[in-house]
Amino acid sequence: MSELSSQLAAALPDNKQVRPQWLKVIRESGAEQFRTHGLPTRKNEAWKYTGLARLDQSEMQLASDMDKPLNEGSQPVPIAESELQLNLLDGQIVAQSGNVPTGLTVLPLADALMNGINGLQNLLESLSDENPKSSSGHGFSALNSATLESGVVIHAASGTEAGRLSLVWSSSQDEKPQLFNSRVCVILEQGAKLELLEQFESPGDNANTSNIVFQAELGKEAQLQHIRFQQESENSVLITRTEVLQQENSEYTYFGFDLGGGLVRHDLHASLLGSGAKSVINGAYLLDGNRHVDNHARVDHFAKGGYSNQYFRGVAGGSGRAVFNTAVCVHPGADETEARQSNANVLLSARAEIDTKPELEIYADEVIASHGATVGQLDELAVFYLRSRGLDEQEARQLLTTAFCQSVSDKLADPVLREIISQRMMDVMPQADR
Amino acid sequence: MSSMLKITNLHATVAGKEILKGLNLELKTGEIHAIMGPNGAGKSTLGNILAGREGYEVTQGEVLFNGKNLLEMEPETRACEGVFLAFQYPVEIPGVNNTYFLRAALNAQRKYRGEEMLDSVAFLRLVRQKLEVLHIGDGLLHRAVNEGFSGGEKKRNEIFQMAVLEPTLAILDETDSGLDIDALKIVAEGVNRLRSKDRGMIVITHYQRLLDYIVPDKVHVLADGKLVVSGGADLALKLEEQGYAWLEDGGIATLNVDSAVQSANP
Repeated sequence: MSELSSQLAAALPDNKQVRPQWLKVIRESGAEQFRTHGLPTRKNEAWKYTGLARLDQSEMQLASDMDKPLNEGSQPVPIAESELQLNLLDGQIVAQSGNVPTGLTVLPLADALMNGINGLQNLLESLSDENPKSSSGHGFSALNSATLESGVVIHAASGTEAGRLSLVWSSSQDEKPQLFNSRVCVILEQGAKLELLEQFESPGDNANTSNIVFQAELGKEAQLQHIRFQQESENSVLITRTEVLQQENSEYTYFGFDLGGGLVRHDLHASLLGSGAKSVINGAYLLDGNRHVDNHARVDHFAKGGYSNQYFRGVAGGSGRAVFNTAVCVHPGADETEARQSNANVLLSARAEIDTKPELEIYADEVIASHGATVGQLDELAVFYLRSRGLDEQEARQLLTTAFCQSVSDKLADPVLREIISQRMMDVMPQADR
Repeated sequence: MSSMLKITNLHATVAGKEILKGLNLELKTGEIHAIMGPNGAGKSTLGNILAGREGYEVTQGEVLFNGKNLLEMEPETRACEGVFLAFQYPVEIPGVNNTYFLRAALNAQRKYRGEEMLDSVAFLRLVRQKLEVLHIGDGLLHRAVNEGFSGGEKKRNEIFQMAVLEPTLAILDETDSGLDIDALKIVAEGVNRLRSKDRGMIVITHYQRLLDYIVPDKVHVLADGKLVVSGGADLALKLEEQGYAWLEDGGIATLNVDSAVQSANP
């Protein structure tokens, strides 16, 4: 185990006073798992291309749960309007604005743990029930469970139409880099609808590590639109894991936009448990400098007639490095499943690197599946075509790479958000080496 | 009339193979020249070299455009100086909106010439006006550049771009190929509307058909990398009748055209 892992393990909180008992069990099993495996290393297949040297070199400390004063000026400007907005600083809610729609309950995790929220215990336990053999790659989740206290719980009662809720994440500037753990739990009862817009954007040159686990349970016919926009500083580390459990005819739609961050890792996993469930997972990642962005997306089809579509586009310039892994498993009995995977990448520099790998396993009948992964350069004929009309070379290349990434944002239903995100992408679009 | 384009002894290779072998051409302001010839003669190579496409190596000769060395300019500089190539195979660019692209191009050219940039309102006004005179619907404005366009739509889009950018030298590279008669008329109309004493045009074509609608001042036959014969508009008609087989028969002596003169290399 690395020195950092040992230090973090030693700093884990004591669980003697933790109540209720089931929470104590979750925290203790997380701690045990972390003490055994520590943070993942490249020896783990899922972390083969993503090393944590950046963390090892920093004098990272496990953040304490002390309340921090909110500095209003250091809060990021929300990228879009919403019915309800929560600001989270270092993983804790520090501000709330707007109205809580009828049928929606939003609580700090600590309060929800004390008061009890329908379905919360099951949801939290579903993460720690995993097979310990495969858990060595989930050191960050184990650490998150071992410190489970900060975060948000969002519960929508049956039939609630909640509109948009924004989670605006940021972290404070401390002398030494801190590691924050936070948990988001979203429970949508039957037929409830919610759009969750997450924004990660810490002001200044932040070198903190955010370790966030996002868990969602979608009841029958529930719909969650989950948009994640991150433009963190180039020294920050963002480790997130998204686990979505989907019941019959529920719909999960994800949009991930990675525009920043020094080291970014996102594990997204949707389990289609009920028949007719639908999971649409889209993402764009833009890299330059020495940034590293790793997206692992996986969909498990357990029930009949499910639909999944993964669509990711990536652009890497400078010495940027992108890792993308998309996996689909159609389990026995998940007949008549349709599963689509598409990942295309553009390399703008000889020093940039993109590792992409699609995986597809099918154990059911009458399955429609397609997958494709490409890494290429810009179409030089298209560059010439644009230049022959008067655009200079840089403009032409920028237009083409932006268009490539906009094929993701163009799928957003809200034209205002589509425009904002497309402009943000254009602003940070990496440039080609000359 | 002054000389707008002067090509002297142009030799060019593609992937090591010599395609142009000493081509001479002088285009005066206000003229339309047609360049005809068999497949593989080097017609498209000439268009691409004038527009500045990579992959063509000029080994000898020079090209002066309004007295400036055209071959030294970047493709975008040529465009800003007023050169426009209507592509034989217009490129599909998924995700780039046609209107956005054309406005960016026009403004890049206006900026180069020190003119004021057009805002989207003024630009749309201009665009609608051009579409109307060309009898093209505004459907293509909302689509990605050439993406999913039929062959005819792509060619019309080239003419539409030409009408908006108003080049001083337009080169049409087989713009007529694959067009039905209605599309051909639209293309010809676009060209004829742009015809003026301040502009020059080179119409590269394999067939005479387009020249029924665009009457050129001169017709040249390009064969084996050189202009082998030049004449008036009637030369095209004779070529239509007699094909290009006479080239292989060893000369143009059998080509009975009053105005034809054999090109001589300097």
